[in-house]
Amino acid sequence: MTATRPEDERPIKARATWRLAAGMAAAVAFLALAAMALQYRLIEDRLMQAQRALLTADLDGFATLYDQRRIIALREAIELRAAAGAEEMLLLLDREGRVLAGTLDRWPGGLVASGGGFIIDPAQVAVLGDARWLVVARELPGGFPLLVGRSLQPVDDTLAALRRGMLGLLAGVLVAAAGTGWLAARWVMGRIGRVNALADRVAAGDLTARLPGARSADEFGLLEAHVHTMLDRIEALNHATHHLSDTIAHELRTPLNRMLQRLSQLKGNEDAVEALKAEMRQTVRMFDALLDISRAEADRGNGGGLVPVNLSAIAEEVWGLYEAVADEKGLLPTAAIAGGLQVLGDRSLIAQGLANLLDNAIKYCSAGDTLALTLETAGGRHILRVADSGPGLPPEMRDEAFERFVRADRDRARGIRGHGLGLALVRAIAARHGAKLVLPDVARGLTVEVHWPSA
Amino acid sequence: MTDRILIVEDDAETAAAVRAVVEELGCAATHAATLDDGVAEATGSDYKVIVLDRMLPGGDGVEAMARIRAGGSRALILVLSALGRASQRVEGLEKGADDYLPKPFEPEELRARLRALLRRGTIQVLDNDLMAFGDLEIRLKARTVHVKRAHVAVSPKEFELITFFARNAGQVVTRMQLLENVWHLHFDPGTNVVDVHVGRLRRKLEDAGSPAIQTARGEGYVFAPLPLAGAGM
Repeated sequence: MTATRPEDERPIKARATWRLAAGMAAAVAFLALAAMALQYRLIEDRLMQAQRALLTADLDGFATLYDQRRIIALREAIELRAAAGAEEMLLLLDREGRVLAGTLDRWPGGLVASGGGFIIDPAQVAVLGDARWLVVARELPGGFPLLVGRSLQPVDDTLAALRRGMLGLLAGVLVAAAGTGWLAARWVMGRIGRVNALADRVAAGDLTARLPGARSADEFGLLEAHVHTMLDRIEALNHATHHLSDTIAHELRTPLNRMLQRLSQLKGNEDAVEALKAEMRQTVRMFDALLDISRAEADRGNGGGLVPVNLSAIAEEVWGLYEAVADEKGLLPTAAIAGGLQVLGDRSLIAQGLANLLDNAIKYCSAGDTLALTLETAGGRHILRVADSGPGLPPEMRDEAFERFVRADRDRARGIRGHGLGLALVRAIAARHGAKLVLPDVARGLTVEVHWPSA
Repeated sequence: MTDRILIVEDDAETAAAVRAVVEELGCAATHAATLDDGVAEATGSDYKVIVLDRMLPGGDGVEAMARIRAGGSRALILVLSALGRASQRVEGLEKGADDYLPKPFEPEELRARLRALLRRGTIQVLDNDLMAFGDLEIRLKARTVHVKRAHVAVSPKEFELITFFARNAGQVVTRMQLLENVWHLHFDPGTNVVDVHVGRLRRKLEDAGSPAIQTARGEGYVFAPLPLAGAGM
């Protein structure tokens, strides 16, 4: 038998693995990124401070010189350092803006001198040429603009190198995290997959299926152990159901039998005796239906005990029995039964299920209604369809018509006898055979389809 | 010589009811209350029919059938059991029972079945093609029915039905027997589907002038084509 197994199970399983792997990789990468960003900020700060310290030292030196001989000393010192190829930026102008000394030949545009002292603040970052500079622009007393700057190139170079390193590291972390995540996910999914495979086997009817080997001492082992305990219980319950139904049958039928024997000995009042006998037959039928339902449900999807049977022949046989009944009641019975269709099944159960469907249809239809039995193959399945043009199901009953003991109120009102087990038995029999029960929407009457997996 | 029938049954009241039916049929009844006693008795002497329960002290009667056969018994076995669901009946028949009657049973039903079994033991296999009951003839090879030399059109199922009736001519045949033997269905459909089919056959025969099929009230049907030709063949 085919297990009822979601058709898209593989993709879901694969997605779960990948989701887990991607999730882990993203989490690790995010943490690494945050840590590196923090470090980057720290290093950038320290490098800037170092440049500020250098600039402060330069300014202190110029301040000392200025204190001694004012502009002259400054000019000499700057000239000396510019001639020596200083790496810092130095520029001193006179009142008219002419260059007195410096490493530049003019005042850089956009730079505004502010304040008059030799303290570092406020300093500004200026882009001159293709490099960044930390510069202090002042106007010394008497209108002499002074520019002192330190290149930020070393800082930028270091930070660029740091960024490249960090980017590489991040890529490495991502790959490593994804790999680890994938391996971990695969391992986890593998362990879960074992349990899933077991569940599939059980769903396919093998209640005795268990995972081989010892249970590991982790959560997965615990999960497997729990599943095993559950299966043991189900198996025991299934066994008990089988045993119980026999016991119930025995304990119920034996006293009923005594009653029937005594009833048969009563003379006179034959009509009352016949009525009582009919009631007893009805009771036995109801119990049989209940026991058949519970047995069929316990054996649901279990291929055991099913043999290849000729569904077409069974349909012909049962139709032969009921066609005449429908005819006699004035219905218009028609049948289209494709020949030679085989299913794995229990002949007796299938016949009973079909008989229930036909009996049900005949019970509710009135003279002039149509009753059609169709057996055909479509989409790899054998479809057995009983369609009538009778009153159909009341809309509120569509969902529960196949539940036990469900009967429409109008039936009670109309005095149609029944125990509400006929369709429940049909459903249980279908489930026993791995067949699907379908109630298509129809304009008129009731149509019931049973979709059998073909053998 | 009276036929002997063995009753293997643990419920005393049921055993008494079966004994009553057996004696009514003019047979001698022997009762065993456990499976082992029953098997010993069945293999120890010659019985025509064994009425065998299933859930017995000592085990399942159906499982013991092989032992009874192996012990040399040639008796026909009728399983009479509370395990009466269709699947269980089929199981019993497949394991070699000649008939299977679920409890609760009506005495008439048991009587009809025992009669059929007793008859089966005596009737010789029909060696010719014709079953004749006065002016009603059944031709087995051609699968045709004739009344007063005139052909009566019957469906294949109706032919099987009349053949089963003919083999049990003069005896009460129950609806359950017809359902099992003609339609091979082993569950109670609740409604009297069989009546419709018998009614049709009966009307066809009556239209042709043969009131062969009679209703036995509360029991079933009797095929009695001609009182004087009861067993004519």
